[in-house]
Amino acid sequence: MKKKKLSNAILFCVLCVLVVIFLTPIFFVVLNSFKGKLFISNDPFAFPTKETFAGLSNYINGIEKTNFFASFGWSAFITVFSVLAILLFTSMTAYYLTRVKTKITSVLYYLFVFSMIVPFQMVMFTMSKLANMTHLNNPVGMVILYLGFGAGLSIFMFCGFIKSVPLDIEEAAMIDGCNPLQTFFKVVLPILKPTAITVAILNAMWIWNDYLLPYLVIGLSTPYKTIPVSVQYLVGSYGAKDMGAMMALLVLSIIPIIIFYLTCQKYIIEGVVAGAVKG
Amino acid sequence: MKKKFASVLLCAAMAVSLLTGCGSTGETQKPAESKPAAEASKDNNGGADATGSVYYLNFKPEVTAVWESLAAKYTEETGVPVKVVTAAQGTYEQTLMSEIANAEAPTLFQINGPIGYQNWKDYCADLKDTDLYSWLLDKSLAITGEDGGVYGIPYVVEGYGIIYNDAIMQKYFALDGAKAASMDEINNFETLKAVVEDMQAKKDQLGIEGVFASTSLKTGDDWRWQTHLANIPVYYEYKDKNITDTDALEFKYAENYKNIFDLYINNSCTAPGLLGSKAVDDSMAEFALGKVAMVQNGNWAWGQISGVDGNTVKAEDVKFLPIYTGVKGEESQGLCTGTENFFSINSQASPEDQAASIAFVEWVFSSDTGKAAVTNDLGFIAPFNTFADDEKPSDPLAQEVLRYMSDSSKTSVAWNFTSFPSQQFKDDFGAALLEYAAGSMSWDDVKALVVERWAAEKAAIAQ
Amino acid sequence: MQKTLKRYFPIFVVPTLIAFSFAFIIPFVMGVYLSFCKFKTITNAQFIGFDNYIKIFADKDFLNSFLFTLKFSVVSIVTINVFAFMLALALTKKIKGTNLFRTVFFMPNLIGGIILGYIWQQMINAVLLRYETTLIANATYGFWGLVILMNWQMIGYMMIIYIAGLQNVPTDLIEAAQIDGATGWQILTRVKIPMVMPSITICLFLTVSNSFKLFDQNLALTAGAPSKKTAMMALDIYNTFYGRTGFEGVGQAKAVLFFIIAAAIALTQLAVTRRKEVEQ
Repeated sequence: MKKKKLSNAILFCVLCVLVVIFLTPIFFVVLNSFKGKLFISNDPFAFPTKETFAGLSNYINGIEKTNFFASFGWSAFITVFSVLAILLFTSMTAYYLTRVKTKITSVLYYLFVFSMIVPFQMVMFTMSKLANMTHLNNPVGMVILYLGFGAGLSIFMFCGFIKSVPLDIEEAAMIDGCNPLQTFFKVVLPILKPTAITVAILNAMWIWNDYLLPYLVIGLSTPYKTIPVSVQYLVGSYGAKDMGAMMALLVLSIIPIIIFYLTCQKYIIEGVVAGAVKG
Repeated sequence: MKKKFASVLLCAAMAVSLLTGCGSTGETQKPAESKPAAEASKDNNGGADATGSVYYLNFKPEVTAVWESLAAKYTEETGVPVKVVTAAQGTYEQTLMSEIANAEAPTLFQINGPIGYQNWKDYCADLKDTDLYSWLLDKSLAITGEDGGVYGIPYVVEGYGIIYNDAIMQKYFALDGAKAASMDEINNFETLKAVVEDMQAKKDQLGIEGVFASTSLKTGDDWRWQTHLANIPVYYEYKDKNITDTDALEFKYAENYKNIFDLYINNSCTAPGLLGSKAVDDSMAEFALGKVAMVQNGNWAWGQISGVDGNTVKAEDVKFLPIYTGVKGEESQGLCTGTENFFSINSQASPEDQAASIAFVEWVFSSDTGKAAVTNDLGFIAPFNTFADDEKPSDPLAQEVLRYMSDSSKTSVAWNFTSFPSQQFKDDFGAALLEYAAGSMSWDDVKALVVERWAAEKAAIAQ
Repeated sequence: MQKTLKRYFPIFVVPTLIAFSFAFIIPFVMGVYLSFCKFKTITNAQFIGFDNYIKIFADKDFLNSFLFTLKFSVVSIVTINVFAFMLALALTKKIKGTNLFRTVFFMPNLIGGIILGYIWQQMINAVLLRYETTLIANATYGFWGLVILMNWQMIGYMMIIYIAGLQNVPTDLIEAAQIDGATGWQILTRVKIPMVMPSITICLFLTVSNSFKLFDQNLALTAGAPSKKTAMMALDIYNTFYGRTGFEGVGQAKAVLFFIIAAAIALTQLAVTRRKEVEQ
């Protein structure tokens, strides 16, 4: 038993070291975000000194140059509404596809599943052209596109769950005079909650961080740049010059994610595990 | 050849007019001429109505703020919305490609010469009947199509060379055993090399970290080498063969390129292996802070030099030296002057937007507000007759460009890089330079790559 | 019940289907068609047969990016899974602070690829500064940079899945083995690993598909520099599309090939999982 205690203590120390290593990149960016832009490349690992300390100027710079709060707003708008749309519409579709057995539904089901394995590059050009021709190049359009793109995985996961839900309850509701819509919202949807959380988390993580789709569809000329697009735009056209603003912006981009993670950690980890096991 | 001659002539003419203009203050001919033009552009504004809007995809990140403020002023004055978006360094073609596919595509963009026109001709509107074209001093500078239409109008004449800090040079000349006594003696590569290497050895005495600023080889920040510096060997090769374009570059002046490039990377404040992390802006900051004595760049860089916090270099000390590479007879070589900036209007945009875009550009180059920003903030030497003699940029680098152009003993080097096959070619060249600087590629391989990529890209475009 | 529900097709399916058509079905069909065309915009496409596919192999870019992707995927799949499994073993030992460790290790997974890429670009350059070189000076640095970045991002994710797997190993099984005098190593290889095989399969395929389709991290970290030597397939396709005028068709054709390879991987995954399920 003593031996075990010792080995656990060693393990504990090793893990502590690993934690430090894991956090180093983040500390590194935070550290440099407080240095004057010309001092960063001199000694990137040094703590800011009186001479090199830049206060919040990098943050102010970064926020101004990219209009960060607007980007944050659009990122949040697109993510929240896309996730809501995905939850609502794909769960309904999945319900229909599982409960109604026809040729069409099985073709549709396989089509949705098929879309999961197609890499984005395959459709990026045609999709962004189509989105432009049909005027989907705005945040509302993005919600529609994300619904389309997220449909594959979400329907797959919902279907997997609905299959295991016994028919009796629904039939009882129908006998009570509920139409299918009422049955779905009153009976089925509440049962779907655990899967819904998983679907929501997987999609939120993906949409919040997605770069190429919003970049290609919305472009640079509109005010609707999301955070990843803004970061890439800043680094491309200014960032090479202003490392300070870039560091600050990186920190700003991480903060909301960390807050979200720390508050919903339990759901996120459970959701990810469930998603992995089912997907 | 004819075009090149014409551009030199234009530059000379402009320079002469500047010099005489300074002498005779009573000259009113040009402003008088420009008046009806300005009125015409106002008419255009009326015609454009409130329905048109402008989306300008800007090529030069260093002047983004100026264009943005011009856009705001124009909108305030006329109510026409103007949007300015800047492409990241080295990604203009790529950004234009993805943006033009959008519903809200750029209405005003730029092409970089005949090659650019070939790529974008489906999107270039004919500008023959615009006032802007009528103001162009030398009509042969414009990009014309096979049908005789005008598809690109140059909006700036620029020059580049080696910018040096005269204060540091004077300090060096005063040292014992200096390899030259004044800048006038540095008129070929041999002397330049002797001076630079001696200065590098005495850098502590001179209070600098190196002679040359970083040879920025970061991806997208390597255009000073794969485009501007590469122009010199190509210029001499074209000159020998009496051509203006070729499908097969021999790169016969490769050794000359290597001469100057080695000098840059070996006598710098940055170790060659680190150059891949340096951007143009780093180089300009090093120069502005007095850490280095020389940097290769063009007159557009003045804003970057003067805009650096803690800038120590004085305006009167900022001067140009031609880029010497060890070619025979280079003593009479001047700066590289020309243009790669041609405005084009998106022919696929709505007629209202096209008219609005033309009106905006005409406003920029004819209204007092626009002209003031062009001359003072952008520092452009604009090739239009709407600019009076006293409306030339007064910054030291532009003054130097004008001085070199008017010096009859110097021959300006034309911008032959507008005939470089593609951005891809330039990127490949730049990447090879980076590997050469880092020591992982031999010069022979770089040379072979340039020859091979040139031929391959020219062939790809011909298809 | 099915009958009444059937009539609700417009409400239950059509909204998703419309979005799905715009985002996927139409672009996919058009994409396949355009890979046989020369085009600049969709409206002026010209059918040219297999020319684009032939052109793919005219330059070495695509093949190089394929080999780079392959090399990268193999190395990162092995490293990520080994490290993640080791961490999972450590964190199932009931030591102090397990929750905190888990929280920290998982966190990088939530940060987006573009942002991760730039963080690591700065970090690695700062380290390499001491050796007077940079991330893009040599393709080897870019390669290991990407591997480190991917490890940092994915280890936590895989660790979580392995933990879930390990927690499902019945304790009486392990105790029985201990009573039989099995060593720690034997328990690991004979009991634990066989019991978490499903988790291993899941993790392998997740890492395969994530590594194979990597784009954002690649774009931000090196953007393919130097000389496209660190460009993975997705980035190469993007560059062909948007970086070279006149090569849009070739880009689309490359995308089709990319899709075929990705589909082959997914089908293998399906086959393997099916076989596993039968065995159980």
